[in-house]
Amino acid sequence: MTGYWLIAPEVIVTLGALIALFGNMLPGKDRTTALLSAALCVGATAVAWLATPGEAIFGGLLTSSAPASVMRVAILLLTAVWLLWLSSRGYEGERSREAVAMALFSVTGALLLTHTTELITMFIALELATIPAYMLMGYRRRDIHGLEGALKYFLLSMLTSLIMLYGLSFLYGLTGTTHFGQIAEALPGTGTLGLIAAVLTMVGLFSKLSAAPFHFWAPDSYAGAPAASVAFVSTVPKLAGVLVLIHLVQAFQGIPGIELVLAFAAAASMLLGNLSALGQTDTRRLMAYSGVAHTGYLLIGLAGAVAVGGGQEGYLATTFYAIAYSIPSLAIMLVVAEEGDSVADMTGLATRRPWVAWAMLAWLVSLIGIPPLAGFFGKLYLFETGLEAGLAWLVLIGVVTSIISAAYYFRIVRAMFLAPAEEAPDRPAGEVAASRSADAALVIALVATVAVGVGASLVMRALGWV
Amino acid sequence: MGESVNTLAFLVMALAAIGGAVGMLTSRNIMYAAFWLLWTMLSVGGLYLLLSAEFLALIQVMVYAGAVSVLMLFVIMLTLRRREDAVRSLDFSPSAALLAAVFLGIMYYGISNATFPEVALLAEAPNTADLGVVLFTMEGGWLLPFEISALVLLAAMVAAVWWTKGQDRR
Repeated sequence: MTGYWLIAPEVIVTLGALIALFGNMLPGKDRTTALLSAALCVGATAVAWLATPGEAIFGGLLTSSAPASVMRVAILLLTAVWLLWLSSRGYEGERSREAVAMALFSVTGALLLTHTTELITMFIALELATIPAYMLMGYRRRDIHGLEGALKYFLLSMLTSLIMLYGLSFLYGLTGTTHFGQIAEALPGTGTLGLIAAVLTMVGLFSKLSAAPFHFWAPDSYAGAPAASVAFVSTVPKLAGVLVLIHLVQAFQGIPGIELVLAFAAAASMLLGNLSALGQTDTRRLMAYSGVAHTGYLLIGLAGAVAVGGGQEGYLATTFYAIAYSIPSLAIMLVVAEEGDSVADMTGLATRRPWVAWAMLAWLVSLIGIPPLAGFFGKLYLFETGLEAGLAWLVLIGVVTSIISAAYYFRIVRAMFLAPAEEAPDRPAGEVAASRSADAALVIALVATVAVGVGASLVMRALGWV
Repeated sequence: MGESVNTLAFLVMALAAIGGAVGMLTSRNIMYAAFWLLWTMLSVGGLYLLLSAEFLALIQVMVYAGAVSVLMLFVIMLTLRRREDAVRSLDFSPSAALLAAVFLGIMYYGISNATFPEVALLAEAPNTADLGVVLFTMEGGWLLPFEISALVLLAAMVAAVWWTKGQDRR
């Protein structure tokens, strides 16, 4: 796959989105729309995987790379799993075809982001990836809390986008170019303003990845949103955001002081995320704080890579961890969407649906970082990079907060396996209806969690680790 | 002579833009605030004109000063029924003032110590046709971001329709 074939996945996904907007005309409506879109995503995966690394198109606006190909495959497959689940569960009280269309628009933006190596394309693709997310977060139109959360997300996200744009204008003014490669060459000689511009630019991405201290929107908007939306918004656009942050940090790595900024954000995210998650009773809120914490772990890899002067290992470890984190959190939010939003809703899951409870255990264990699952290898690579870069204090915070995280993840486990039945709240809806496609989606997520863990070295090799 | 006229025009426009922004933030009646914003947008349009960016200046006046501010006035008209509703309370927050002052200090320090690259001015200011070539042709190089922004607008429009329409058939 060379030349303009590189954007074939984006074209396929955009077509899917346009078809989904006319889902009314398809037989079977919501279900057909979601299944067709899932099939298109799987088809696009094959095209994305065949991309030749290191090729530039549109005059250097988009450049393919090995990590980008892996990330694109992860984005498309996660979206396919989400759509497969959505095809049978849908949204309570709303039709779901518009959600499918919006998710695909967001995926188009995310796919473009993975290849972009230029500021203007990056900014507009970032907007394409996040604007549909606002709608998904407020998808239930009569739910006042959902709309409030979506509005909070929109306002804070827009504010940080504008701060980012302010930073981008300085980057262009200082270097006279918008291409990452040329910025990397010109920026180190620009002094303090270069650092200020870089920090302003990263603020936008920190906010979209919900890294402290720009994470305030996440808990409130997740807690108001339908869990199915949270499953998508908190994982798929984030994957692309991580890769863009990596590309930007690669362009900024020559500026003195940038690793301190990254290390500070990492430490703040890990501490604030994990400590705030401890007292939460709403699973969506808990997972929001856990997302903040995991972004903190990711930033260890970036800080480490910058500290050693641009170590490839750190960037690849960050990419790997983003994938290893997003699979379990998507799956957990899907189960939350089925079972109910509070931790207490999980009570007795082990007797009601034993295999789902065991799968949940595997995903939670992967998030904590226990071998042989994906999360363990992710954290191993990240902490290794941190130690090699001499950031032992940061790695120490990472290890201690990982242990703290076990405390709140195990509250979910306790509810599923050990809690007496009296603790369960009244369940007006009764049993969760059996559904083969929803179960299949969960099984795929479980297999992926194990496979990425067991095959961690294969994934790292695909990313370009030598 | 030409240089000083340019500087004078710049100072007038820049101070007008800043003054409009201050006026927008400090007027208690949001109707006045909307008009101050219109004033700021027009001043920024004037700044673009000084840079010989005629097309950008025109768009600034047409889209921002024309469409956006009229839209804002319509929103005020449709949402605020009574005259008293348009008056808001102005809270002075010391922490926000401190944050703004620190930010201003950092930016001033950064900008006053920065070395900007020397850029050779074009012999002839690019006109609207040149801009069209850059945006709408493959050779121009910026077709892709332009097309992506079309998708952004489509997504935003669908979202707006979703939230504003009532209950529908499933």
